[in-house]
Amino acid sequence: MTASTSLVPAARNTRAAGAGPRRPARRFTRERLVALGFIAPAVVLFATFVVYPIVFNVQSSLLDWDGVSAGTPVGLDNYRDLFADPTFHTTLRNSAFWIVLTIVPQAALGFALAWLLNTRLRGRTVYRTLFFLPAVLSPVVVGIVWQRLLDPFNGVLAQLGRATGIDLLTRSYLSDPSTAIFAVIVVNVWMWTGFSMLFYLAGLQLVDHSVVEAARIDGATGWQLIRRIVLPLLKPTHLALLLLGIIGSLKTFELVWVLTEGGPNHASELMPTYLFKQAFQLQSFGYGATIAVVLLVVAVGSSLAMLRTFGSGFITGDRS
Amino acid sequence: MTLPPTARRLAARRRIQAGLALCLGAAALAACAGSADPEEPAGGDGDEQTVTFRSWSPIEQTTRQMIDSFTEANPDVTIDATIFNYPEYVVDLQTRASSGTMPDIIGLQPGALTQQYREKLMPLEQCAADTWGDDWESRFHPVGLEQARMGNPDGDEHYYALPLLVQTVNLWANSELLDAAGIEPPATWDDLKAAVATLGDAGDAAPFLLPAKDAWLRNVVFLQIANNLEPGRVYQAENGEVPWTDPRIVEAFDYWSRLFTEGIAQDGALALDSYPNGVNQFEAGNAAMIPLGAWWIQQSDPSKTEIAPLSEGMSGYEPFLFPTLPGGAPESQLVGGIDVALGISADAADPDLACEVLTDWIAGDGGQVLINTFNDLPAVTGLNPEEFTSDKQEQIWNQLTQDWMPKVQWSRYFESPEIDTAVADALAGVAAGQLTPQQAAESVQAVQDQQG
Repeated sequence: MTASTSLVPAARNTRAAGAGPRRPARRFTRERLVALGFIAPAVVLFATFVVYPIVFNVQSSLLDWDGVSAGTPVGLDNYRDLFADPTFHTTLRNSAFWIVLTIVPQAALGFALAWLLNTRLRGRTVYRTLFFLPAVLSPVVVGIVWQRLLDPFNGVLAQLGRATGIDLLTRSYLSDPSTAIFAVIVVNVWMWTGFSMLFYLAGLQLVDHSVVEAARIDGATGWQLIRRIVLPLLKPTHLALLLLGIIGSLKTFELVWVLTEGGPNHASELMPTYLFKQAFQLQSFGYGATIAVVLLVVAVGSSLAMLRTFGSGFITGDRS
Repeated sequence: MTLPPTARRLAARRRIQAGLALCLGAAALAACAGSADPEEPAGGDGDEQTVTFRSWSPIEQTTRQMIDSFTEANPDVTIDATIFNYPEYVVDLQTRASSGTMPDIIGLQPGALTQQYREKLMPLEQCAADTWGDDWESRFHPVGLEQARMGNPDGDEHYYALPLLVQTVNLWANSELLDAAGIEPPATWDDLKAAVATLGDAGDAAPFLLPAKDAWLRNVVFLQIANNLEPGRVYQAENGEVPWTDPRIVEAFDYWSRLFTEGIAQDGALALDSYPNGVNQFEAGNAAMIPLGAWWIQQSDPSKTEIAPLSEGMSGYEPFLFPTLPGGAPESQLVGGIDVALGISADAADPDLACEVLTDWIAGDGGQVLINTFNDLPAVTGLNPEEFTSDKQEQIWNQLTQDWMPKVQWSRYFESPEIDTAVADALAGVAAGQLTPQQAAESVQAVQDQQG
């Protein structure tokens, strides 16, 4: 890098002096070739594993195709059908629920845990590990365990409910279309709160203690300190969690699949589960690709909107 | 030695260029290595032949035994097999088929899955005739052969898949719980309701454990109900001969609904999957009856390292058919079909060798190994396990293979995946109380109308 930046002005100076203009130009070109050589592997990988699949998906979305035989071009028919598909509307509604009801509680609980575990609490390392543990488990394992816990016939919660007379615990949350998506969201919040906690712990440790101390000297009480000093200072953490939360919500698959398979009767369907069913169970690969394209547009659109609103430096904390 | 700045830059640039050249060279070598013929054995031994196999069934341990059986007799053959869970398998197969890397032998379900890959599969009549003679069809259970060609275009009589394992779909009773309650497996709808009431009073076990989260299970229970009510009517509806809103089909949806509204199925049935949760509950003795199929006998596979007490020699179980319904057929109907069929890729490197493996697994030594594990019922008649661990196990095996399987008349599958999904969705809607039986039938008819 140093060589490159120092050579360019040198070449310009030489040309300005009118002596030997050809040789520096060739060196400049060689420098660029070397640079391109270094960039090329990344470009090839990006083109192969990111650009090509996107192009392939868009192309597939314009076909009536089972994924194996030759497809038939249908123009934008798949898009027209998708936007008229009531199950797709359900997936959009569920995605909205998912984004709001996972990001906010996860952030609130994660911050509360981080705040408590950032004090001189005895055994805090053990608590941190325990709270973070669900985030490293496989969603499939989490799904199977929670399915057993929530089973109203023989599950732990139902048995506890029957023993204590708390009817709320004996309800069939996963099999009731009006509660299924919320039951899955609760499990998701349980799983990922530790992840938010970890982010906030890192953020809290970067907060300037002198600012906090100054606020205390000025008479800020606990809640005032959190609301007026700490939370604003953690803005980059909030925004990073928001962005990760939105993208994570849009691509959630395993947990929903194991807990409800998107049911009952599509009540907890999300875009990825519906995409899988269409592409691989109903052999409508073209229609599945259409869902994938819409999913991509929503994910990229929301990410760009965040970048536009908050600036690209919000993750790093660079306020410029 | 210290070089002047220009020389250092030159040296650095040469090092970079040399590094790049090395990288490019290595990449080229890697590319050359990657372009080697995948059919070529890695050892370079020209005599060794490889057959590739991918499927979701039989299970990996059993497949390994079948492979060992074949390769012991054919030491120059290597069988490269991968067994997936079903959802992963369909993704893998679709990806391979569209990228021209289909395995030589693949596992298939009859109907939509076989039809999806039909153009990439070779017809198997010649392979079967060469191995078993011209009357080879007589060796198979008729329903297996019928389903193997399900969905073929008119005039196409080829077999693109041959059944490996077949099954009935039926109910299983925990005979210990039924004996303790002093009742027999219910034969009629009224018997079923009475049995559920008696068993409900007798203890904590679920009288009728219905793992209705699974679409396939909802459909097979519905098909048993519908065929007991009016044999064959649902297939007529799928063929467009009668509407899905036919009163008998609506009545079948109503009986399905009554499993939930009359308290026959356990609470939260729509959230319980059959594998692993439903079967774990049943095998642990927490349920008196469960709808599954003939394959449940695999729980008593003697080669398993751990067998639950109820499953030892099938001591705690008894199979029975879905009860008859008022105003329906006088006898319970047998519903079933193919568990897994095998097909050979049209691009198989060595079709003759693939045929040898396929026929060995269906009815040869490999098939014997497979059946010894009680994985499911053989697609061919006369193939029985070499050893039974109890009289009851043998009695159940004979009941399934000799009394039931040859009489299976009704398919456990719909031909079209759209109808299959529409029926499963409608059943979930009815069970959840979102749809009336009439609305459920109308929703399936709407999907059928869309298909034209």
